[in-house]
Amino acid sequence: MMNPPLIETQSLCKTFRDFWRRPVVEAVKDLGLCVERGEVFGLLGPNGSGKSTTLKMLLGLLHPSSGNVRVFGKAPQDVMVKARIGYLPEVSHLHAFLTPRETLMYYAALFGMPRQGAVRRTGELLEMVGLTHAADRAVGRFSKGMARRVGLAQALVNAPDLLILDEPTSGLDPIGCREVKDLIHLLSQAGVTVLMTSHLLADVEDVCARVAIMDKGVLRAHGPIRDLLRTPDVIRFSVQGLSEGDAASVRAIIEKHAGHPVQQDYPEMSLEAYFLNVVNRDAPQKAFEVAPFLKP
Amino acid sequence: MPRIQKTFVSSVPLCELKSMRRVLGITLLAIRASLRTKAVVALFALLAVCVLLLPSVIKSDGTAEGSCRILLMYTVGFSFGILCLSTLWAACALFAAEIDSLRIQLSAVKPVRAAEFWLGKWLALLLLNAFLLAAVYGGVYAQLRWQMRANGWGEQIALTSRTVARPILPSVAQEVRETYALLKARDNLPEGMSERAILRALAQNAQERYDLINPGEEKHWRFTLARPLRTGEAITVRIRFDTEFSTRTAVQGFCRLSSGDRAVEVPLDDFSLNEIEFEIAAEAFGAADAFTLSFRHTGDPQESSALMLRFRQDVALLTAGGTFEANLARSALIQWSVLALLAAFGLTLSTGFSMPVAMFTATVLLVLTIVGQSVVEGTSHEDEQEWSNRPGIWVSRGVTTLTQHATQNAPLESVIRGERVDAKALRAALLWNVLLTPALFALLGTHILRRRELAG
Repeated sequence: MMNPPLIETQSLCKTFRDFWRRPVVEAVKDLGLCVERGEVFGLLGPNGSGKSTTLKMLLGLLHPSSGNVRVFGKAPQDVMVKARIGYLPEVSHLHAFLTPRETLMYYAALFGMPRQGAVRRTGELLEMVGLTHAADRAVGRFSKGMARRVGLAQALVNAPDLLILDEPTSGLDPIGCREVKDLIHLLSQAGVTVLMTSHLLADVEDVCARVAIMDKGVLRAHGPIRDLLRTPDVIRFSVQGLSEGDAASVRAIIEKHAGHPVQQDYPEMSLEAYFLNVVNRDAPQKAFEVAPFLKP
Repeated sequence: MPRIQKTFVSSVPLCELKSMRRVLGITLLAIRASLRTKAVVALFALLAVCVLLLPSVIKSDGTAEGSCRILLMYTVGFSFGILCLSTLWAACALFAAEIDSLRIQLSAVKPVRAAEFWLGKWLALLLLNAFLLAAVYGGVYAQLRWQMRANGWGEQIALTSRTVARPILPSVAQEVRETYALLKARDNLPEGMSERAILRALAQNAQERYDLINPGEEKHWRFTLARPLRTGEAITVRIRFDTEFSTRTAVQGFCRLSSGDRAVEVPLDDFSLNEIEFEIAAEAFGAADAFTLSFRHTGDPQESSALMLRFRQDVALLTAGGTFEANLARSALIQWSVLALLAAFGLTLSTGFSMPVAMFTATVLLVLTIVGQSVVEGTSHEDEQEWSNRPGIWVSRGVTTLTQHATQNAPLESVIRGERVDAKALRAALLWNVLLTPALFALLGTHILRRRELAG
């Protein structure tokens, strides 16, 4: 028997209205979306395409104008559903007067965690996001990146089954971005379903198995990222340590079989990979410490 | 393959303990917010200035009683007024600010019910108010004790708490019904007035009406005490008059307090003050709890005028009723209950409106509550006939009816007069102001929260 999709929307529409109930903008139009258990799903689109509105409907923060939303097979407003979700909004909206430790303790309390468990969990999460040294400073004095790390930690406080990340790498430096992407990989391997939006297509390409592309509230394309990006009828060989002469011979054979000239190039690493290589040349790479979450 | 530990698996049904933890978390956050943003510190400083400086700024009549009244009535009253406004505005800000700043998004996606949000924030306001009100009462009490010792007030006044027994009379509602039936039978009902208007006027009259005791007349009142008299204690008779001073001085009479076959008669010839109090030792009656009090006006009909008094309010028997400190605590409890009601009202407003709109609406309704009673009492039949007055009168009546449980008690007056704050009034205040009305507001507030979109 097939598992039902973890997130399912049918003919989902959202129209924002003014005080007099006149329609102002149709943010989402007739959206049909399925996110399966355990996958990392990317929701892409330019500004104002309806990505965040869709996420907020999935979280029960906005009510659909028409259509259906089911998360874990239930309405998103259901507290049982909310107990299984972790959410990182585009802007963290943290309480400026709280310290990261207090912030996490507060959100742990909202999940009804016992104090002892919450204290342990808070410590683990602070260590994971690298904020142990700043655990008792007010969040209001943090840089955007540090606040983002607190936001990420609060999204994981309940060890969620579904993690919804709105622009997760926004405000983070390249190292932070890499750490977040590594974390998403690890969570995905552990069976957590991740739904994320991002403007940074490279980030999405790095971590997502499937994507949906929205524009002006309409779903324009969706599917496995490999299928969407694959150029039909093109095959690429990558070979290491081949001499110029041998390369010319191989090329000649392929051209003979293909019947037309073959393009030959030298692969380059991405700028991100180069940057990480440079800044971490003298120091061991520091990734999110996810050990506390993982079973040996 | 590594797997994330599901330490807090959320598919477990939400139990009451989890719910309490959530409420407590929200309460703690609200208290932290008020402390860290220095709001409570500023309020505490303002109240400290009130408690410490106000008694020396306001001129008293120089008597110990007058100074004591200023300390209790003005200092506590003014501080209570500040707390009312701050509670209302803070409550209006609690949800509205969080929704306006989008901070609520992070909390709203957690498994928290709307009622838990509401309750957590309300409890925070209750705790903060309890702390601040206790500080005000504690400060005033300490000043009172210090002044009594430093200025020798102890010899002039006694800080007491006495239980008040009022005459057994038909209830206002009963009297209104009987009077209305009588007027109707005699075909003597006022013309052009609706039945509701007549009943309202009769009720007002029954409450405030002055009765006359003319020279040569005698009036009797029956009383039942809350408990039988104890050996060694005294029972106090108190009668107040509203007759003018110039005509009152010629009044003479006898007061007679009896229980069964035992009676004590006291001649009264000094009516220069508008209140007469005298004590009778309990030994004169034994462990009695039912009494009859009578007053016989023996003044000269030519020189003396009639005595004017409201039977429901001006005649009373007083017995020992706990300590002054306990009475002060009862007064504080009633005022705290009013703050609880205001907090509930403000919170519910803040679930539906933005912060400025909620604050404006709350302040307008508070002013309406304060002036509504005067409008209702001062409205004549002619005023009601004027169509332009009607909306104002209706609104005032509506607000007065809705807030009657919160405004009908004047606990400070009782404390100042040395009267024990009525246990029934205390229970009613707690029931209406802390339980029933807030529960209604909570229902409304949670309904709005569930319906409202918490993201833009």
